[in-house]
Amino acid sequence: MTKILLIDKLDNCVERWKAAGITVIGPVHRANISVYAAVEHASEFDFGLVLPDRSIKELFFPQTEPMLRYAIKKDTIDTIECMPPSGPRIIFGSRACDASGMAIDDPLFGWDYKDTYWFQRRNESVIVTIACIKADDFCMCTSLNMEPDSTKGSDVLLRPLENGKGWLVEELTDRGQEAFTQIAEFLQESADAPAQTAVVEKKFDLEASVAWLQKPENFDSRFWKEISMRCIGCASCTYLCPTCHCFDIQDEGDTYSGVRRKNWDSCSFALFTMHTSGHNPRSTQSARWRQRIMHKFNYFPGKFSVNSCSGCGRCSRQCPVDMGITETLQEISKLSL
Amino acid sequence: MTENIYNTQPNIYKPAIMKIVARQDEAPGVRTMRLEFLDPVDHEYFKQTFRTGMFGLYGVYGEGESTFCVASPETRKEYIECTFRQSGRVTSALANADVGDLITFRGPYGNRFPIEEFYGKNLLFISGGIALPPTRSVIWSCLDQREKFGKVTIVYGARTVADLVYKHELEEWQERSDVELVLTVDPGGESPDWKNRIGFVPTVLEEAAPSPDNCIAVICGPPIMIKFTLISLKKLGFDERNVYTTLENRMKCGVGKCGRCNVGSVYVCKEGPVFTAAEVSCMPQADL
Repeated sequence: MTKILLIDKLDNCVERWKAAGITVIGPVHRANISVYAAVEHASEFDFGLVLPDRSIKELFFPQTEPMLRYAIKKDTIDTIECMPPSGPRIIFGSRACDASGMAIDDPLFGWDYKDTYWFQRRNESVIVTIACIKADDFCMCTSLNMEPDSTKGSDVLLRPLENGKGWLVEELTDRGQEAFTQIAEFLQESADAPAQTAVVEKKFDLEASVAWLQKPENFDSRFWKEISMRCIGCASCTYLCPTCHCFDIQDEGDTYSGVRRKNWDSCSFALFTMHTSGHNPRSTQSARWRQRIMHKFNYFPGKFSVNSCSGCGRCSRQCPVDMGITETLQEISKLSL
Repeated sequence: MTENIYNTQPNIYKPAIMKIVARQDEAPGVRTMRLEFLDPVDHEYFKQTFRTGMFGLYGVYGEGESTFCVASPETRKEYIECTFRQSGRVTSALANADVGDLITFRGPYGNRFPIEEFYGKNLLFISGGIALPPTRSVIWSCLDQREKFGKVTIVYGARTVADLVYKHELEEWQERSDVELVLTVDPGGESPDWKNRIGFVPTVLEEAAPSPDNCIAVICGPPIMIKFTLISLKKLGFDERNVYTTLENRMKCGVGKCGRCNVGSVYVCKEGPVFTAAEVSCMPQADL
């Protein structure tokens, strides 16, 4: 006998959590795209999606957010910190890839200097992940040595029942347990069997690819020019990626008052690294695509012992010119044979 | 909901406010500003953390932040001096700021020159154009404790006589008996009364032929100067591990998160900006 949560009871849970002041967030449709967003009722959720178009990242690291407000006065300058709206949140129905993506970026945002914007949100969020029972051609978690039911970064793991009526509940962390204690009366004991998790075939040889990337001579390989010929530098891959964390800092306002914002930025853009002098260390699209792949599978793991990719496949799924991590590492796997 | 499992600390993006207490035009478009902290807490933090080689993000609200070195030495921490060329949006706003105006500062960030390891050694400083400011921080850090070092040689060149920065300090170093200053300007950049060398830095360096024995070289300049100066230093017999330089790249955060200043796997903001020539030669050269 194990604990289960029936879909029929989910609305009661949402009510209960909301009554406790918790914002409930999950996979929903908004203006032609699917995203993780706050809901009023459980009926808004769409658990049938393989995964939402946009990742969970923006719940912790929004596309744009005010960091500081400034007011310039005669003899002083006032700086007012803008912290994210505070309050507990439950992200219900994350995917394993999205949840692990957040855990992957924790060491980066905490690297000696702690980013308060990231960690306040991390601290106030419970991630409830639903194991995948279906996948599409772009899913590649298994290629990254993860599974559709991996628990990394999740506070609770739900396994869909075979009969489709609900989920088996596995509480993974104290905060996950606390969130589910609040809805304990809506849970029940059952012997229902969980459904088979999705089968995601391995798309590339990660170890061989990483070994190839680590060889210094391959930095100058012709491969980079060939693979990135198609890239139009639109940055869709980086924006949709759960682990891509690059940002820009921009001021909006005038000489007297305004706001300093942190905005998503992308290594796909030429301006990203351009010096004022005009010199650009990464002046070609191939240099920029090389940076993205090297960063994810060579530099980032060198510093934080984990690849900066959780296998969601959004980069390939949404790429307008049909390239992405999968296609690139498939080619590299071949090169390294 | 639960206890704070992520240990947070003060906002890393919040700058200190600094007052411009003096400014000096160095060369066309190049200006030095002396800055003082308004808040004693910020000043105390700076005094405790600043070592020569570290950099800061200087800013004007409404315009943004710009990265350059702290040009003053670690032996003088009552103020910060910075020298910049007016070239972009932020540096233009800084250039428009007057004595008494307030600007922002974040830092000091990055690593430093290991001055203690230079004790007892001869020092060779090589610099070109607007790259004297980072070198000047090291020079004064050493000259302020002159007895701890051997022979001090400074080779400095600029495109024209007008482009030489810190002209008053160059005169001071020229007059000192315990400093050998070799000044040069590019051919065609000399003025009628120019009495120093004419020629590019690498050539002048080879003519001056400083001995590599027990000597540390600190070089800073435009990429093309660095490239040829490294070749000259090699000819003179310098070991790459005894040659220090400081890199710069576009930065936004300064603390290893915004993702743009890396050269290969090395983040200039966190692991730099000070590197030995040996370290630089291990980096992917196409990414520099």
